[in-house]
Amino acid sequence: MRKKIIKELQDMPKFVYVLAVLVVFGAIVGLYRLYAGLGATTNLSKAYPWGIWISFDLSTVALSGGAFTLAALVYVFHMHNLHAAVRPTVLAGLLGYTSVLIILFMDLGRWDRAYHFLIYPNVNSALFEVSWCIALYSSILVYELSPVLLANTRWKGIIPVLEKYTIPMVIAGVSLSTLHQSSLGTLFIVMSERLHPLWQSMLLPVFFLISSLASGLALIIAGASISRWVFKRSLPQNLIAKLGWFLPWVLGVYLVLKLGELEVMGELHLLLNSGRYSVLFMLEIIVGMVIPIIMFSSKRVRHDRTASMIGAFFVMFGVVLNRFDASWFAIQPIPGVEPYSPHWMEVAILIGVASGVFLAYTLIGRYFPLFDETMVVESKRKETAVNPQLTASEIGVAE
Amino acid sequence: MSTQATPGKYGFLIDVTHCIDCRACNVACSVENNVSMDSTRIWMNGTGVVGEFPELSSSTAPFHCMHCNDPSCVSACTVGALTRDHDGIVQYDDDRCIGCRYCIYACPFQVPNMDLDEKMPLIVKCDMCGDRLQEGEQPACAATCPPGAIQFGRREDMLAKAHQLITDHPDKFIQHVYGEHENGGTSTFYVSPVPFEELGFPMTSSTSSAYLNRLVTHGTPAVFGAAAISLSGIYLTIKNVKEESAEEARIAAQTAVVQAAEGAAAETAAIEAEESTSEEA
Repeated sequence: MRKKIIKELQDMPKFVYVLAVLVVFGAIVGLYRLYAGLGATTNLSKAYPWGIWISFDLSTVALSGGAFTLAALVYVFHMHNLHAAVRPTVLAGLLGYTSVLIILFMDLGRWDRAYHFLIYPNVNSALFEVSWCIALYSSILVYELSPVLLANTRWKGIIPVLEKYTIPMVIAGVSLSTLHQSSLGTLFIVMSERLHPLWQSMLLPVFFLISSLASGLALIIAGASISRWVFKRSLPQNLIAKLGWFLPWVLGVYLVLKLGELEVMGELHLLLNSGRYSVLFMLEIIVGMVIPIIMFSSKRVRHDRTASMIGAFFVMFGVVLNRFDASWFAIQPIPGVEPYSPHWMEVAILIGVASGVFLAYTLIGRYFPLFDETMVVESKRKETAVNPQLTASEIGVAE
Repeated sequence: MSTQATPGKYGFLIDVTHCIDCRACNVACSVENNVSMDSTRIWMNGTGVVGEFPELSSSTAPFHCMHCNDPSCVSACTVGALTRDHDGIVQYDDDRCIGCRYCIYACPFQVPNMDLDEKMPLIVKCDMCGDRLQEGEQPACAATCPPGAIQFGRREDMLAKAHQLITDHPDKFIQHVYGEHENGGTSTFYVSPVPFEELGFPMTSSTSSAYLNRLVTHGTPAVFGAAAISLSGIYLTIKNVKEESAEEARIAAQTAVVQAAEGAAAETAAIEAEESTSEEA
């Protein structure tokens, strides 16, 4: 037994050890934060009560939007040929939400009372709504993933019982996601006095919802490429192409709404004369929307693994930048107060939690039937040996 | 869910011309409510020294919770630790607070304070010295103010007095009662000889962001219902369409088989008939 464990550990890819070290370091700093309080471990202040942690939470929830987008496509819209992507994406979503819950816990001044949101509701509060939805939706993600986790255990007998309720659970999950993805945008409506007018809008909930669809799809596409390196397993390229097909539509609606809102509110001129805010906004628009729209409109890009991955990274960059803008970069400074920049401990805790996500994903991918439906990617050497011209997409199509 | 919440019972009138920056109000508040002077419920705003020597001037004013008619912090608070009581006082329940600091961002006046250096921090904010009010006394800041710059009384009296002051002395005051319309109306009114921007007062919209927030959050159950119903509808519709087309395909295939069988049978019959005729012949 002991020999087996040692052998297992030796077989692990080296980066697993790096991740483990980062997780341990992050955990130590995290415990210190809980002990020492926010003042000693963060650069948060009265003028900037929220920092990089909230930006991380918003970005991670947006990226985890892949889980509900895909669940809706596969189960509600009956696109069963995308089913192979469900398990890896749901796991990514679940780990994403778990990391958000951990960071939110770190962010609470009174973490000892974290459960209060369950017993003291304020129905007017967007943050109350978000915390409830995230808690409920995480449970649904656990449910959606349970067949994978239980498959090789003695409880596998209940899997058919669980799967009977897939459809209602998926519909509840997608509805809850619609709510909290948009409520994260609502968060900034009550603090509208502090947000730059380029981002401040009554349509924020709509913007957040639509962009989470885009970043979710992009995460599935990029994730497929990453799992090709790490697990030697991936989705066939024709499925990735199918997902990429949705992106120009979603991003197009997002772009039109965003610019249209500025036009209606008479704020279009701010696009050019707001200094660094203009630069941030233009980056979101050009890198995060215009370039990916052009890229994914092309059939050649959608069917090319590398090009799809690059396009997906542009989309994710745009959405993550949007979340950082709304919660940090575009928060109006208070005269005489130095702008916020994170303390190294804030960053260390974030890196620890993010490493934990990758570590857990790697280990679950190794020991649980996560990729049962996905194709095996032949090793590079063999591929070249058989046919140097053979591209991944062709393997995918053949599959 | 209206834009206009009912105004509160009590109000402050702060006359900036009378403030001499002695900070007795800060000390009184700190002593009365046992809060440190760093993370206090009341602090000073001011213009700093302006003008050219020898014509120097400086205006200051104490600032504390405005006790809004429709407070943004109350709308924001995750756990309902901030509430507005029937007297219009914005109260804080330090047994409920989870320290999420959303109220600090929500308040357009940057009022809620938190001493982040504490290990288990809580929000610090003015509650109009509720205990003193119950005993018929004025809040500590108003009772202490040596030059009488802070007055306290019924809200409508304070507002009327503020308007009377600025109409009676147009040369002395700018024509703006700060707090009357700010963030949808508050219970604290300022009259000042200098524009309030110069005093460092936040310029806010006259619509409370709490109202805008409620416009969206009250739609939540409807959005959830609409999402659940339309998703179920889409699921069932596509399912039926698929089943119907599968059924049609099945029927079509069956008919083809039956027709083929019938055709074959007819053919056999014809052949048999032919054979029998030939035999008879």
